[in-house]
Amino acid sequence: MSLVDLPEAPSTRGALGRLARSELRLVFGRRRNIVLLIGLALVPLVLGLVLFLTQDSALGGQGPGFIGNVTGNGLFLVVAALFICLPFLLPLTIGIASGDSVAGEASAGTLRYLLVVPVSRTRLLGVKALGALLFAGAAVLSIAVVGLVAGAVFFGLRDITLLSGTTVPLLDGVVRVAGIVAYVGLSMTGLVAVGLFFSTLTEVPVGAMAATVVVAIVSGVLDQLPALHVIAPALLTHHWLGFAEFLRLEPDWGVLGQGLTLQAAWVAIFGALAWSRFTTADVSS
Amino acid sequence: MVVAVAVGIGFAAPPLLATAGSDGLPTITPEQLAEQVAAAEQQPLSGTVVYTARLGLPELPFSKVTGANPVSLLGGSSTMRVWTDGAERSRAALLGDVSEYSVVQDGPQAWTYSSTDNAVVHYTLDDADTARYDDLAAKAEAGDLPVEGDLPTPAEAARQAVTMAKAFSTVTLDAQTEVAGRDAYQLVVTPTSQTTLIGRIVVAVDAATSTPLRLQVWSRADAQTPALELGFTDVTFGTPADSVLSFSTPPGASTKDVVVALPEHDATTATVPGALPEGVTVSGLGWDSVVQVAGVDVAGLLAGDPAAASALPGADRQFDSKGAQQLYDQFAPEKDAGSPLGTLDTSALYDQLTTAVPEGRLLSSALLSVLVTDDGRVLVGAVPGETLQALAR
Repeated sequence: MSLVDLPEAPSTRGALGRLARSELRLVFGRRRNIVLLIGLALVPLVLGLVLFLTQDSALGGQGPGFIGNVTGNGLFLVVAALFICLPFLLPLTIGIASGDSVAGEASAGTLRYLLVVPVSRTRLLGVKALGALLFAGAAVLSIAVVGLVAGAVFFGLRDITLLSGTTVPLLDGVVRVAGIVAYVGLSMTGLVAVGLFFSTLTEVPVGAMAATVVVAIVSGVLDQLPALHVIAPALLTHHWLGFAEFLRLEPDWGVLGQGLTLQAAWVAIFGALAWSRFTTADVSS
Repeated sequence: MVVAVAVGIGFAAPPLLATAGSDGLPTITPEQLAEQVAAAEQQPLSGTVVYTARLGLPELPFSKVTGANPVSLLGGSSTMRVWTDGAERSRAALLGDVSEYSVVQDGPQAWTYSSTDNAVVHYTLDDADTARYDDLAAKAEAGDLPVEGDLPTPAEAARQAVTMAKAFSTVTLDAQTEVAGRDAYQLVVTPTSQTTLIGRIVVAVDAATSTPLRLQVWSRADAQTPALELGFTDVTFGTPADSVLSFSTPPGASTKDVVVALPEHDATTATVPGALPEGVTVSGLGWDSVVQVAGVDVAGLLAGDPAAASALPGADRQFDSKGAQQLYDQFAPEKDAGSPLGTLDTSALYDQLTTAVPEGRLLSSALLSVLVTDDGRVLVGAVPGETLQALAR
């Protein structure tokens, strides 16, 4: 793209909206991102199919986590698929999208053109964050929606049995599972902020992506070490499994609040770091 | 909006004012505190209890392997939710990451439910015992329990307890504290013996309701953190919802019925204080007491003796699928079926927890020592392992 191709400098009014729209088109139109979303959506589909085909065999109805519950109630396919994707696939997807957000533009040489748009760097970063956040939401939703549909088709939806052994009506169950989806989605915001920060540090998108995924995985590993229980509550992944609270008899909102507060803290810290880096960086590419 | 905020502040203000004078609780004696606890009615409440054991045993991450499981209480930290109506209905749930182990009691019957196995165990009394239970409950309501005359009043019982405790310990009140956001008195029992492993026991008692809120057991070795701590991190006084206190078996869960016998409370069968079952001897006084049990087949228990194992919960695993049941029956040897640890190797666990000593195998923790001698005696006491070894020789 040469300078001649650029449209005439648009008026400042509406530039932010246009920028946001173009960013969303960029994020959701990119073939890599679409493949990632399809890949995530395949998880509940394949899981459901396998469980459907094996339910009458010797190993039917068995499995770790929530997999054993799926054949009895399709609603659990959503939970089981999210539980499977949570440690690695979701962080990987989100790391790729958020790590690419700024570094991708820099490596393609398009970042300086973006800076010509009459929108402040702070708002530009905000638009990039919005794109990455919406992609994270779409990733979680694609698992949930496909899981719900596949679960309903394969196993049917019925009243849900909670971890406490109490059976609650289907509608209550759907609300609870929706709560799980929302909580898992919000649990990804801290990772998006981390990815955004790494993305402002480098012009090599792969580096930012890898660093983001590594943060999630290392955090998960450190969380397992009993010797580090002092710092565990501050780790990014510490409250990720807190979604189980929705499947208890009386969800403890305090536990869920802790998880969301932790994510908010990570967003605040890494958002601020990304902002201070991006607004002062010397962009040459 | 303004009204909502005002109402919110209105609700928030009284507790704030109440907690302002934390050290403004009236001064009382240990005897008075014990008396209040004994006289207090059991409160309906719901709350979160955190249990932490720092017993110096090897870390056993059971809940990571098997989901919420009572065995995980051996070490580390566990969170429980408890609900009780203050009478005969209650629920306690041991929380795992994405699992739960629930115990629900409703009068004469009780259920346990493990979300990991989707298994229910239903404990009931047989018909005769149920009738007797109802009879006792009705009499208790009417206030004419047959044993009423023999029971001391709460105040007397409390005084007796404090007197007995004072025989081997010093009983004092520590500075008032706050547990789960409530003002509490702290009763401290310090053993006078210098040879026991126990440093002191601290009980925090809610000032308003006289409900014990926290129990800490400190070992003599570690003055920084309690070896055992069981306390509310969050408590609300009030009757829980009916749905919490009731239980109905979820569809698809495996169930197992266990009939338990109601213990006899007749005066004729009441155990005489000091009379011990055969093969059990106690040596030492107070905190230094060592219980010795002879003729225990430890090896047999560990190997999962079918007779003993079949009595344990979870012995007959049931699968929804017939094929799975056949597969399981085929591959699960009868003797392993009863282990509450599932597939964990109990004898390897035993080897890991204990150390070899000349007399047999010794388990030493911060608060308790257990010595299993080669000739089948088991010695247990809150004393150092060396004391047990000397006794066993």
